[in-house]
Amino acid sequence: MERRKKRKGMIIALEGIDGSGKTSQAMLLRDWLSHRMDTFFTEWNSSEWVHEVIKEAKKKNVLTPSTFSLIHATDFADRYEKFILPMLKAGFVVVSDRYIYTAYARDSVRGNDLSWVKGVYSFAVKPNLTFYIRVPVEVALSRIKESRRFIKPSEAGDGMFQNVTPEEGFLKYQSMVIDVYEKLAKEEGFVVLEGTKSPREVQTKIREKVGELLWKEDF
Amino acid sequence: MERGFLISVDGVEGSGRTLHVESLKKWLEEMGYGVTTVGIQMSKLMSEPLSEVKRNIVFQRFTLFLAYATDLADQVENVVKPSIKSGFIVIADGYVNTLKSWALTRKLSQEWVNNVLSITPKPDVSISLISPPSVIIRRIIRKRGFLDPLTSAVDLCINEDLYRSFSRYVNKFQSNLTALTEMDGGSVFNTNKSLDQSTKEITYYVEGYLKR
Repeated sequence: MERRKKRKGMIIALEGIDGSGKTSQAMLLRDWLSHRMDTFFTEWNSSEWVHEVIKEAKKKNVLTPSTFSLIHATDFADRYEKFILPMLKAGFVVVSDRYIYTAYARDSVRGNDLSWVKGVYSFAVKPNLTFYIRVPVEVALSRIKESRRFIKPSEAGDGMFQNVTPEEGFLKYQSMVIDVYEKLAKEEGFVVLEGTKSPREVQTKIREKVGELLWKEDF
Repeated sequence: MERGFLISVDGVEGSGRTLHVESLKKWLEEMGYGVTTVGIQMSKLMSEPLSEVKRNIVFQRFTLFLAYATDLADQVENVVKPSIKSGFIVIADGYVNTLKSWALTRKLSQEWVNNVLSITPKPDVSISLISPPSVIIRRIIRKRGFLDPLTSAVDLCINEDLYRSFSRYVNKFQSNLTALTEMDGGSVFNTNKSLDQSTKEITYYVEGYLKR
């Protein structure tokens, strides 16, 4: 009798600007998957120790484009080596709320050379599936204002622009990020979802795609 | 105003890096130059967090390397570049070639490592220090009283005692460092001699650059 094939791990990434609804979608996906298989959920900028260093550095405003990029890469590498890679090898499905493409977009918008950024992150395997949740910046902005009324500095470019209101900063910064995402969507084969649809419609689409991937090459 | 310049001093712990950085600094200051020093794990941004977590992430080579790269980049941006611009000489107590040798000895890809560090300015004078492992280990033990597994490549020490493992590590590290230094036109000095003699050789070399 054929031995049962060892299950291969997978990375499913969700990308999109702040206010695109990607975190809610990622959490819905995580909950749905975790009833069915070993699932691990990870978020951008959440390394136990680097996260704190970044927070302090932003408060003191000491990051330059290159150190902004490298310190976020350190945060990612910490989560990658400690959690993502071992889980992947052990057959987990890793749901990643933002992955390396967030760095591609945010770092290059800050003036780092995109090919350098890609090189920095080249130690990480690419996701098996990347969802890009596309929303117009105005929609993202109004969602954020409705839900909590203030805009975090990181959502408005962390001081990239002088003399702008948080709203203007948000619109400027997120539009630049969108431009990079749109380019990457083609290059990297993202599954593009219209984030203006209802959360349920978006989630249904996500589950459909994930289902195809997970259960087509069955274990 | 005349632009300053950058002297890198690379080598493994115990190679005499800090000692020679200090004596170079003194020598240059006596001649009237303004000197700033930077070095590995000396940034405001990363120095403390690194010393706190290093023990926990000793097997996470990409993370450690990127943390060191962040540490170096922070000093490059906030100290090296502005100091050079305002006419200072900057001496780095450990620079790009130390990080690269660390990484190559741990089998990280050279292409990846070169790309990450490609944002750092090339030193105007590149000095690397080497010594036989037995001499290096004696120096470390004299200073600290013991071989600290953390700085002695414990991540590469499987099935071996610390002394032998570290000797092999120093050999590999130094052959990487020598190759890297020679490749970009720097100079390697063996510090297995009297401090006076080493200092003379190094200052003579830097003098050559100053007189160019």
